[in-house]
Amino acid sequence: MSTKTETPVKKKNQKKIQCFWSWVIGSVILRLIIIYFPKNLNLSSRPEVSTPLTSIRRLAEGYWLKQSSMSPYAGSMYHGSPLLLTLLGPLTVKRIEGQPDHLLCSLVFVIADVVTAMLICAAGKKLQAAYSSSLQSIGLHHLSEDSDILPSGDFAALLYLWNPFTIVACVGLSTSAIENLMVVVTLYGACARLAPLAAFGWVMATHLSLYPAILIIPVILLFGYGPDAPPRKLFRQRTNLEVDDSASGDRSCLEDELVNEKRMLNVFSWRPVVLFLFWALLWSSYVLVLCGIYVQQHSGLQEMFKSTYGFILTIQDLSPNIGVFWYFFAEVFDFFRSFFLIVFHGNILLMILPLALRLNHRPCFLAFVYIVLSSMLKSYPSVGDSALYLGLLGLFAYELKDMQFSFFLFSGYVGVSLLSPVMHNLWIWRGTGNANFYFATAIGYACLQIILVVESVSAMLNHDRMITKLTTAKLQNVKS
Amino acid sequence: MVENDSVTEKKPRIRPIVRLGFFLISHSNYVSLLCFLSGIVALLLLPILANNTYISENALMPGSANSMLSTQHVSHANKFINDLTHSDIESHKTVAQYMSALDAEVTYHKFYPQLNQFHPLHFFTSSDSGIISKNISCSSLGINVAGIIRAPRGDGKEAIVLVTPYNPKKVGPGEALSLGIAYSVFSLLSRVTWLAKDVIWLVADSQYGEYSAVSAWLREYQAPVFHEAEIVNSETCNDSIAISELGQNPYSDRNSYGGFRRAGTMAAALVIKVDEQGNHHEDSLNIYPEASNGQMPNLDLINIVNYLGVHKTGFRIKVKKMFSLLGSRWLNTLGGIFESLGQIARSLNPQWKFGISATEYVEGAATLASSMYSQGLGVPTGSHGAFRDYQVDAITLKISPKDSPTKMIRRNDFILRGGRLIEGVIRSINNLLEKFHQSFFLYLLSSSSKYVSVGVYMIPFALLVAPLPIVAASLHADASKSTLQSTYSSEVEVSHKSWKWLNSARKVLVIHLWGAVVSLLPYFLYQIPNSTPTTNFTVWGILSAFSLIILYFILGSPIFEAAPSQPEKGEWASLKSVTISTAFIGLSLMSVINFATAEIGALLIVPICLMARPLKLDAQARSWRALLRATCNLALGFIAFPPVAYFLVKGAFEDFNGTNVGDYWNWVESLWTWNSATYLYVGIVHLPCWALCIHILFHPC
Repeated sequence: MSTKTETPVKKKNQKKIQCFWSWVIGSVILRLIIIYFPKNLNLSSRPEVSTPLTSIRRLAEGYWLKQSSMSPYAGSMYHGSPLLLTLLGPLTVKRIEGQPDHLLCSLVFVIADVVTAMLICAAGKKLQAAYSSSLQSIGLHHLSEDSDILPSGDFAALLYLWNPFTIVACVGLSTSAIENLMVVVTLYGACARLAPLAAFGWVMATHLSLYPAILIIPVILLFGYGPDAPPRKLFRQRTNLEVDDSASGDRSCLEDELVNEKRMLNVFSWRPVVLFLFWALLWSSYVLVLCGIYVQQHSGLQEMFKSTYGFILTIQDLSPNIGVFWYFFAEVFDFFRSFFLIVFHGNILLMILPLALRLNHRPCFLAFVYIVLSSMLKSYPSVGDSALYLGLLGLFAYELKDMQFSFFLFSGYVGVSLLSPVMHNLWIWRGTGNANFYFATAIGYACLQIILVVESVSAMLNHDRMITKLTTAKLQNVKS
Repeated sequence: MVENDSVTEKKPRIRPIVRLGFFLISHSNYVSLLCFLSGIVALLLLPILANNTYISENALMPGSANSMLSTQHVSHANKFINDLTHSDIESHKTVAQYMSALDAEVTYHKFYPQLNQFHPLHFFTSSDSGIISKNISCSSLGINVAGIIRAPRGDGKEAIVLVTPYNPKKVGPGEALSLGIAYSVFSLLSRVTWLAKDVIWLVADSQYGEYSAVSAWLREYQAPVFHEAEIVNSETCNDSIAISELGQNPYSDRNSYGGFRRAGTMAAALVIKVDEQGNHHEDSLNIYPEASNGQMPNLDLINIVNYLGVHKTGFRIKVKKMFSLLGSRWLNTLGGIFESLGQIARSLNPQWKFGISATEYVEGAATLASSMYSQGLGVPTGSHGAFRDYQVDAITLKISPKDSPTKMIRRNDFILRGGRLIEGVIRSINNLLEKFHQSFFLYLLSSSSKYVSVGVYMIPFALLVAPLPIVAASLHADASKSTLQSTYSSEVEVSHKSWKWLNSARKVLVIHLWGAVVSLLPYFLYQIPNSTPTTNFTVWGILSAFSLIILYFILGSPIFEAAPSQPEKGEWASLKSVTISTAFIGLSLMSVINFATAEIGALLIVPICLMARPLKLDAQARSWRALLRATCNLALGFIAFPPVAYFLVKGAFEDFNGTNVGDYWNWVESLWTWNSATYLYVGIVHLPCWALCIHILFHPC
């Protein structure tokens, strides 16, 4: 490691950080500007932005029902969490003279976005530090320098903040900003090994939108094995070699590294996992108690589960969205419905185990893959979900630098996101198109997500292969 | 994974479809030339590929019942026409009197003519209420009269609309005749028993333009607004005109009611007009179907009119065509070639019947060109366009009599024939069980009885734009290959070979932002009072150039430089590939919004996008081929410049008389007044792509 290369790297990082804050402020200003033109855009009624679960109008309706001492779930309008009602409900009612409606709500969402970005940034820094130290410990010093050049945490945070999908979801007053925040809290907590925080994030995210429940696997892996690292067998080879070496030579100089590797190799540390599970239990019972108090007067928790999780799982609302379920379940016969419900939801569960086995040394990336899969196969997807995984994609900028079809994916995302409102207009407003037009863009969108997940996973595996090749070459050099 | 490893070790086994993709990409030059030429040939073949129309909806049953319109109705109508043209009292009162004498419910609808507004995004936002400017005096108030016949068999949930625009200040003979035809049908319909849908007869006040009158009435019908300012305003005007007049009305006891009356949802609307000039060979009927943004009414509506006109009433049905093309020599030659080809094909196999005669081909091509041009402009061809914004199918029927309406001898006969046609159409629509949905919405007319459906006309467009992704992919592959080699030589540098395009994408994004800025500039220019089109255009051009320079400086500033990048060898290639992809996305998007614009735009922008190559490289090559390519590039770059392209298209489709840069401004103004998506296309897709192509031409590689 020469000092010559270190200084420009540092400089670059500092320069990047200076720009970073101005970019963050710029994104906030952009959001505020767009919030002041809500009438022309009318984003909160677009099917791409607000789903039955995340729409602020439904939330306001639920709050109104609650205020007039009815169950917030009466009339199948609201399907979110009661906690969101207490948090955002009063803000939907409050109007400031001369300001756009829902100004306070939008400010909450803007803050949620910024906090999410900060947490992504912090998690990225932790990941990067861990990754470069693990690269060094298997002796790939030049790679670890390379990985330092691109501050992937900052990059991912800016990607999240400036992603048009995030901006649209935030300005369109979709509560997915808060769901995303909770998911990112989980990941950050797990990366920083803060069991209470991670458990809180996981419980809240699951409570809000059910699908993040599958993130428990990556979180447990994160607590058990530590953050993303090259395949574990490389460490084993390396230690074997070094043990051989140290048996013959002096051991003092390698001691530090060895200790470090021992930590890496510590097969699976159960203690933080148990701690996490304990906290998860605690938080979930706490959330349940709070919800129970809130819906106490109206038929209790059972109704809440029925109209939140039940609504998600049985796909009762078939209004068009960017997913693929509504079209299918509008066509399917009633007596096949439950069968296909099981099949469609099984799709996500089917892929959990193989992916967990293959990517268990990279739990954060595994979480990313799970999030892409669930946002593709969830019953009411919106662009807010894509905003989350596209932001997280930035965390793996170094590992995925050789990803194929990146340009194709980019053009595809641009094309589909422009085509989708046009097709919707053609179908709903002009009447010259039909549901197939809109569904075609939904299929195109799903295909793009499939390509994204396939390509990113294969790029990651190629990266692993490259590392394996390099280390084995090095080991052979050392041996010979 | 084991399999994967073995694949990398052995020679990679490629699937056929991937191999086909590689083949296309590696021969992109030939493929794109082939696709482009075949796209143009397919476009020229469209008149031959046109199908005969047929009535798709069974329920319509046009012409199955005998016409009930008798000479008695016609003589009533004659009396009405005479009263209208010769009476002293205001004409809308006469109309109202006659309407209520037929037991129709009459309402007056007062409206203010709408000023031109700049709604660049109107296409995406749903129909909103117009903003009424406050300082309009009562004198500019327009009054529509609407009469409604309630159907004896209906439930009042559906309606058919008849519209007759007229100018109350000066009722022309043609307008009077069209009112007469509508009156004769209306008087018949007020007595028939078979009516299942309400009939609304809207007599639109066209002194400020018929479109604004009809759209004001429709807005009130479909989406009423409750502005306090408006109510106050109309009340002050009520004092002077409306209330006094309603009081005087002898028929006001039952059927006249001050508020706005509605019938059900509109099934269809017919706008009836009579041409003022005569001197035609025979009585003919012109159909104008195009609404805003190239939207067309359901083809079945045109089919009914065509069927009844040809088979029942003996009108000659016409669709607008381009007369300049009829005489053009190249088209006639082309028609001759196609005819002889068709004959050869028929001699080989009598089953093949794709040949049409040369004159038929030329006529079809002229009609098709006109249809495409008026769809592409995105400006409605008549007041029927207002209905399409509310998803109501509507057409304008313009009847051109043989003799001039003033000295018409057979006026009764003319009214009878016109009335029978309208009656037949209304009776057919009355049979309708649902909205029009069976037949096509997306088509081009090549004559009144021939159409080219979406499945056919998409082929030439797809062939035209197909080279774009192929060339983009090949350029992208080349660019990443070249950077691959360069980065492996110096291993220390971080290789982002797969993400190299990001730099070019940033440039393209900035240029497209510039395009958006340029298309928003007229909003501010429009505020300048007393400016001629020429000065406006000049200011617009200067401001656009200025904003481009500002953006260029922002682009060049170090903030935007993510990684210090010296101008690389393959930089123009990656820039071109991104440009081409955006052009492809933009054109595909536009083809969904307004096909005709996309088709014309593709003819203009695709060649330069495909050909663009730095002139410096061509100059260095110093071969005939390079020189030819450079000249071609310059010529194409000149042609694709939006104002030049406008004058070329206008010269090709309309008569070319005098070029004035102010014309371009006027054209642009008309586009945004009609909320045409073509305006957005020109500003956000065409202009930036052209600018990027020019940038590539003068690239310092």
